[in-house]
Amino acid sequence: MKQSLPRLFPLTGLLVSLLFAACKPSASTPSAASGAAANNPAKSKRVAVVVSTLNNPWFVVLAETARDRAKELGYDATIFDSQNDPSKESTHFDNLISSGYGAVLFNCTDAEGSIANVRRAKTAGIPVFCMDREIKANDAAMSQILSDNYSGCVALGQYFVEQVGETGKYVELLGIVADTNTWNRSKGFHSVVDRYPGLKMVAQQSAEFDRSKALEVLESILQANADIDAVFCGNDAMAMGAYQALLAAGKASKVKVFGFDGADDVVKAVAEGKIAATVMQFPKTMARTAAENADKFIKGQKEFPQRTPVAVELVTRANVGKFGDYGRKQ
Amino acid sequence: MAGSNEIPKVGRVSDPPLPSSPPRAERAGQRPALLIGVVVVAVAGLLWAFPLFHVRPLQASGADGKSAASLAAGAFDPAATALRLWQTDLRAAAQRAPELKNFAAQLRADPAAAGRKFASAAGLGTAYYFVRGSGRVVARDRNQVKIALDGAEATIVALRIGPVFGNAVRDGCGLLEVNAFPGLQEFNALAAELNTLVEKHVIPTVREKADVGARIQFAGCAGAPETVGGPDEPLLVLIPVEASLL
Repeated sequence: MKQSLPRLFPLTGLLVSLLFAACKPSASTPSAASGAAANNPAKSKRVAVVVSTLNNPWFVVLAETARDRAKELGYDATIFDSQNDPSKESTHFDNLISSGYGAVLFNCTDAEGSIANVRRAKTAGIPVFCMDREIKANDAAMSQILSDNYSGCVALGQYFVEQVGETGKYVELLGIVADTNTWNRSKGFHSVVDRYPGLKMVAQQSAEFDRSKALEVLESILQANADIDAVFCGNDAMAMGAYQALLAAGKASKVKVFGFDGADDVVKAVAEGKIAATVMQFPKTMARTAAENADKFIKGQKEFPQRTPVAVELVTRANVGKFGDYGRKQ
Repeated sequence: MAGSNEIPKVGRVSDPPLPSSPPRAERAGQRPALLIGVVVVAVAGLLWAFPLFHVRPLQASGADGKSAASLAAGAFDPAATALRLWQTDLRAAAQRAPELKNFAAQLRADPAAAGRKFASAAGLGTAYYFVRGSGRVVARDRNQVKIALDGAEATIVALRIGPVFGNAVRDGCGLLEVNAFPGLQEFNALAAELNTLVEKHVIPTVREKADVGARIQFAGCAGAPETVGGPDEPLLVLIPVEASLL
């Protein structure tokens, strides 16, 4: 026993060290976060645009506008495509942190899973400015510029009731379930439509904001529900996929399709009467505001509202002439 | 041997060892301990620089000064928050809301300019009015009561008496800041709860008693219109947060 006690000292010392290390102030705590980018002008001239996917024209507009606005403001900007894959997103953050970028304009893949990436960047002194998609943390990103999806889908839901009537059957195609936009849209829509008991949702399924998945999912749903009156889609890519499925089934003229985004092809389809309505988000406004916030941060401003909602607008055949090119016509 | 002059040898085999010079075998036994000590110090240094975990107080402050615990989504109760607002601040704010009759003509003439002056918005979001007034009921249907506004000739406003949707009360009342809440989902849930309170406490009275010809006073919220219709069209469609028959 006497001989074994001294041998425990190193282990005890190790444990004590571990506890002291754990209790020391962390660089990732809000008070310790510092603007390393602002202190390092060489780093400050590079801005990363990390986008969830470039396989959807709406996100291409978001990413390219962010990059172009950063360039206009004098930065060397690079786009990183996460391909809707959180692990690819994480690798992008590893790379941009080690490469010493000055700021990140960020469109996340996962409202909760992406928080760790934002915190890692913050710990490294790189501020993150979210665009369009929310992360569910108030103390990680420097700011979040977000569409008011809920009120957009309240307006869309009211128009849905006007167009479909107070009785009927419909399908809902959800976006990515880990994205808060998916649920803000769905809840806004249901806050209206669920008040009409004659409107029955016969199927609700995720097509992950993807056009081809929406086509497949709706084709499958139509096998068992051939008599639907409408399809509510959480974005425009899925609306176009749903329309293709209905066209193939010979139901495109009978079933009303509703989207969300204001993508150019869907705005044209609304004008042609193929899609009943969409909601115009303003990706260029969000991207420019995020880039301008990053510029302000690098130039010394340190306080930003955590979340800034951006208005959206219902686009129907009656007002479609006002919209185009991912916004209002000038 | 007893009488011998032989000088005794120092450090004979029978003498105890000197403290400063341990035997070779013992010195060899101490080397691993020394090595372990060095390794422990090195590992401790590494752990100090790169700790495996962090111990943080549960009441660590969030970015806006609110405690992390209070910011957790699970801690937020939209119904209780809405009721608290309804019973206290919203009533006081309704008393302070501007009289619509004072800028109705300006709103009809230039909706954009009136919106910039009299409406409010959260962030870059939709702008809403919060106004009060009184008048005579001139028409009603399933979802609206139309009122000829006192003090503003030929101005019609409508009070909604059907289901209430959206953010008009939440954002129009000017009392709530999005960044005081855990996230947009919670902020949206609050909007729905406020709408429920309107449907429960205000709309039944209007629906039951505001017949054509009745006089009514009200306070309510409405989206700021981009354009306004003709004189027979309501200038605003208000969601009433207060209404009483005169």
